[in-house]
Parts: sequence; C-alpha cells; structure tokens
Amino acid sequence: MKRALAALLTVVALGSCTQSDHKTHIYLQRFFGECGAEYGGSIDVSKAEGECGIITTLVDRFNAENPDIHIDVNVVAWPGYPQLTAQVAARDPPDLVTMHEGVISDYASKGLVEPVDGYLRAAGISPSDFTEAARQGVTMYGHIYGLPWDTHGGLFHVNTALFAKAGLMRGGKPVLPNTWDELFAQARQFEQRTGKPYLIQSNVGDPAFAARNLYTYMMAQGAVLFPDARHIRLNTPVGVQVASYFRRINAEELGTRNMDTPAAIAAFVSGQGGIYPTGTWMIGSFEQEAETPGRPLYKSYAVYPYPRLWGEHVEYVSGHSWVVPTRKRTPRQREAIARFFKFMAAHNYDWARTGHIPAFKAVLDDPRFRALPHREDIAPLAQIGRPLPSYVLRQNAIEGIVGEEAAAAFTGQKSIPQALAAAERRVDNLLAQVD
Amino acid sequence: MAADLRGRRLTPLGWAGLLIGAIVMLAPLVWTLLLSLKNNAELVGHSEAALHAPYTLQNYAAIFGNSLTLRWLLNSSIVALGQTAGVLMLASLAGYGFSRLDFPLRRTLYVFVLLGLAIPSQAVILVQHQLFAWLHLHNSYPGLILPGLVAPFGVFFMTTYMRGIPRELDEAAMLDGASRWTIFWKVILPLTIPAQSTLAVFTFLGAWNDYWWPLISATRSDMYTLTVGLAAAQMNYAQTSGLGYLMAQAVFASIPIFIVYIIFQKQIVRAMAGTAVR
Repeated sequence: MKRALAALLTVVALGSCTQSDHKTHIYLQRFFGECGAEYGGSIDVSKAEGECGIITTLVDRFNAENPDIHIDVNVVAWPGYPQLTAQVAARDPPDLVTMHEGVISDYASKGLVEPVDGYLRAAGISPSDFTEAARQGVTMYGHIYGLPWDTHGGLFHVNTALFAKAGLMRGGKPVLPNTWDELFAQARQFEQRTGKPYLIQSNVGDPAFAARNLYTYMMAQGAVLFPDARHIRLNTPVGVQVASYFRRINAEELGTRNMDTPAAIAAFVSGQGGIYPTGTWMIGSFEQEAETPGRPLYKSYAVYPYPRLWGEHVEYVSGHSWVVPTRKRTPRQREAIARFFKFMAAHNYDWARTGHIPAFKAVLDDPRFRALPHREDIAPLAQIGRPLPSYVLRQNAIEGIVGEEAAAAFTGQKSIPQALAAAERRVDNLLAQVD
Repeated sequence: MAADLRGRRLTPLGWAGLLIGAIVMLAPLVWTLLLSLKNNAELVGHSEAALHAPYTLQNYAAIFGNSLTLRWLLNSSIVALGQTAGVLMLASLAGYGFSRLDFPLRRTLYVFVLLGLAIPSQAVILVQHQLFAWLHLHNSYPGLILPGLVAPFGVFFMTTYMRGIPRELDEAAMLDGASRWTIFWKVILPLTIPAQSTLAVFTFLGAWNDYWWPLISATRSDMYTLTVGLAAAQMNYAQTSGLGYLMAQAVFASIPIFIVYIIFQKQIVRAMAGTAVR
C-alpha cells in the first residue's frame, strides 16, 4: 500500500515538472478538435484536410519555421468560452485564442482582449487587406480586435440530381428562386416530380438554423435588428412576414420536419431532399460525398449563398478570428504574436480549403482559391455578408434565444407574433442585465 | 425476507419483462460499441451501416495516437482515486464523530452538513473558482481533487451506517482499555467496509465522470481529465463527420468504470441491500 502511494506521489510530482528551453513560448488556445494521431509532426499543409488537420499542420509548420519561438497548443472543447472566461477570471489567459467574431465584443467591452492594431502593423498587415465582411467582424470601438481568419455563413447546399429530376436545372446549374413566390412554385414542382421535400430543415435543437434564416431575410429588407445596445426588434411587419413564409414551407409540407442537425445532414447526403440550408463548414464533407462513387450525392452537389428573395442581396455571417487576451507580455512574446499573425495571414488560402470564405481579399481573388470546387459560386458571401453589430453584447446567447423562438414560429408550435414577442422580451431582459 | 425472495420463481411474464428491460438497457450500449467499430466516412448519413461488417479498430487507434490520451487517463485516475481516498477518510471520521461523540453544537453542525446536500455545486462554482484562483490551485491535482472532498452525502451515509452499529462494541473495547482512535480504527471501521465500498464506488464514479469543474479548473491540456480531453478532441460542429471516433471515445472512457463495477459488484449489492434493510 505504501509502495503504491509512493509510486502515485512520484507520478504526480513528475507530472508537475515543466520543460525549460530558450525559446519564446506562446500559449495558443483553439477549438477545431485534436488530430495529432493523423497530422502530428506534419508540416506539409497542402496535404492536410479539414479544419483540424489544416490548423494542426499550420502550427507545426510555424514552429518549424521559427526555431526561436514555440507555440504551445491547448485544444479546448468547442467553443471554449467557458474555459477562456475561467482563465481570465484566474488571471491566466492564453496568448492567442480562436474566437467567433460575434463574441469578441463580450471580451473587448471589458478590456479582456487587446486591440491588435499594433500586432497587425508589425506584421505588415493592413485592415484594408481584409474582405469587407471580415473587417466589419473584427472592428469595434475604433480598433481592430482580432486577426480575421475566415467568414462563414449559411449556404444553399443543393442536390443537383434531384433538381434535374424536378426540371430545375438550366445550363448545368440549379435554378434558385428570386422571390418567395418562385420559391413556392419551384418547391411544389420539386415535390411533385421527385416525391421528396424541397428543403431539408434542422429546426430541432439547432437554434442557429432558424436564427440565420430570420436574420438574413430581415436584413435583406433593411430591418434594423438591434436599434440600440439593449434591444432587439423582431416582432415587426418584416419579421412577421419572414416567419410567415417559413411557416408556409412547413404548413405545405415542402420541407422536412422534426430533424436535428445530424438527421438533416444524413437526409441530405442520403438524397432525401433538394436543398439543405446550412453553413460553409459542411462543404468539405458534402464534396467528399460528391466525389465518392455509389453515394447518392455522387457528382450531384452544388452550393450557393442564400438567394435574394427580398430587397438587397445580403446575408448574416460570422467568422473565426485570432484574438489576444489582455495580460502582461514580454516584447519577445509580442513580436512572436506579430510573426504568428503574419504567418497565418500568408496561409489564409490553406484555411480556405476547409470551405470557409477567406478573410483576405488577395486570397479571395487568388486563382488557386477560385479553382477549388464551388468557391467561384460561394465567393460573393465575402461581399454580401453582414455581421451583427458589435455594440450588442452576448450575441451567442441571443442567437440561442432567437433561434429557439423562431423555430417555434416556423414550425407552428407558437403563433408567429407570440414567438417573436417572446424572443424580444427574453433578449431585452438578457441585455438589460449586461453590465 | 431474502429467503422468501429466493423461494419464489419468476413467471414467464416476469422473465419476459426482465428480458425486455435488459434489451432496453443494453441496446444503446451495443449500438455505441458497433458505431465505434465503423469507419467514420461510412457513417456519414448512414449510421445503420453499424449493423453490418466490415468493422475496424481505427477509431481506437486514433485515440491512442493522440499523445495526450494516456496522460488524461492518468489524470482521471489520480483525481478519481485521490477523491475516493479523501472522501472515505473524511466521511468515516466525520461519521464516527457525529454518531459516537458528544461535543458542542454537534446537532447544529450535522444540520449544516445535511444542508450541503441541498446546495447544487453550480450555485457555488463562481466563488469556488475564485477561491482556487487566489490559492493558485488551478491546473493542478489538488485543484481537481479538493472540491470533491466536500461530500455531505458521504458524511450522512457514514453517520447513518455507524449509528446502526451497536454501542456495546465501543463500551466493550473501552473496558479493555482501547482509546477512541483504536475503537474507531480497529472496531468500528472494519464493520463499515460494505458502506465504504458503496461510498467508494459512488465517489469514484462521480469523480471519473465529472466534467464541469475539470473543464474550468484544468484549462491546460496536459492537466485535462479524460472527460474534458475527449470532448476537446471532437473534431467538427455537431460531430457529424466523426461519429465512430466519438463512440470509441465513449467506450474507452467507460472501460475503467466498468472494471470498477465488476470488481466491487458484490460489495455494492450487499451494502445497498444491507442499508435498505436497516
């Protein structure tokens, strides 16, 4: 027993030891998963696939190219904000963190993340290098608060085989609607000719789905979702109109019902519907299905931004960025962060292979990017993308509330005015509590 | 009562009920195991593929390919064993004190301990986190173990159990000149082994499966426990492209618990039955 205890204490003591070297250490915290088994030690970024593979390889490559710096990586469970908040509270935050652009203002408003203007200057990066959507996403309080890394938003993922069967292909491309009337006409035609629903919807347990749809088509009509930092406005004629159309899709059984995200994805790759409106992050998986002989999506996949159904062609987007939590740092650590920014900016194309839209104009126009499957079609998202206003905090929580109530309105669980009023009341209550 | 139960035979309806219950309980476990043995790409959109060959161990290989998995396993073992040992020690001592000793404010203190049962851990998580930050105990084994030692259930459980042990045993030992410590260590404690086994298993299970506190206290990946580490290793939004890997992680994380239950099965059942009868 004593021996076992001694052995245990030895293990604990050894486990607490840290290695020292002469490198400048930077602590990087990210999500996107752990795939060291497949990519650990690899520095050939061109051979890496998927978010996890590409980011793992990029960091390893940075370490290999910068022998005086070492990036220590901490992988956190998505999205990692509970851990980051805990680290900030314990005054031990990391040096670099992946953060969704809609979340930056929560930390920036309290001075918990640094403006990165200085790091960008040192890295030779100008905010004018960013795409409009990316620049808006990281700009607040007159400063840039992160290195934008991508823009992601909703896309219409299309099963072209079913569209062809429905007679909705022209010149090898799917015909997408330009108005709601067209959408309903095409959806009915699709349903009659294929016997399958036009839209695949994940209205269960996926608040982002309904929120994305409501935000996008309200923004398109010029609606001001947040008149100030404390209020949201959804229960308006525009909001009711948008919700009514999505309710009609369900009422006329033109879309799938009672599906969560995995069920909706499974339905799409199994050829159970025409269009699945979901994000840029699914392009890689769907493209893989489209390249695999024997699969229902084989050579039958196309993807486009949400079509313009009203007013202006704009779309609600967010993005991933690299932010720098506030803490004491040596000049060497600051220089290391600037070098990391420069390296990551130079490799933004590699990240764009994940399916996300690049954050840099140069990459957006890069022939290599345009040559990737479907990128020519989805690139406009960088221009039409509109992030939520940075003067409103708690956007993550707000999206959860809005999505929950919007899904209730779309599916008929609540009357539309009742659901939108509930969303307004709950969000306003939340914002009233923000310091 | 036990003899009565042994004498009864199950009717066919009873057997059918047991069989249905067993299937309902086992089906999710079998489904998880089958999914863990499938290629991830095969499961995208076709989870029913788990019902037929080919099967593979590649998801388990991927878990061990992650250099930190064994470290997380070690961390979980240290934390779970440390908490279990600490809770057994503290709860036994406190149980003995509350059940055997007379001291000022004994009843009031015991009520305070019982009140602890009614306070959810989430209610104190902020101040607890702040306290451990001040003590610089985050990202350390003491930081992971110490909060689990506050175990009002353990104190209540051991107090109740020890109250059931006849006081005559203490008095006989005292007549033989035994000290309080000797009585506790050599007379009472051996009689509480069944209760200790039960408490040990419950504490070990709770510590092994704990997610929330390690998530915010162990923020550096080399200090993650298995639950936090495996969650961090999940690759994409909604885990749509790594279902087999996710299930392999679930199976892998549950193996130690399974082993603990198999080893202590007799003690658990005996102690639970004994406590229930008492």
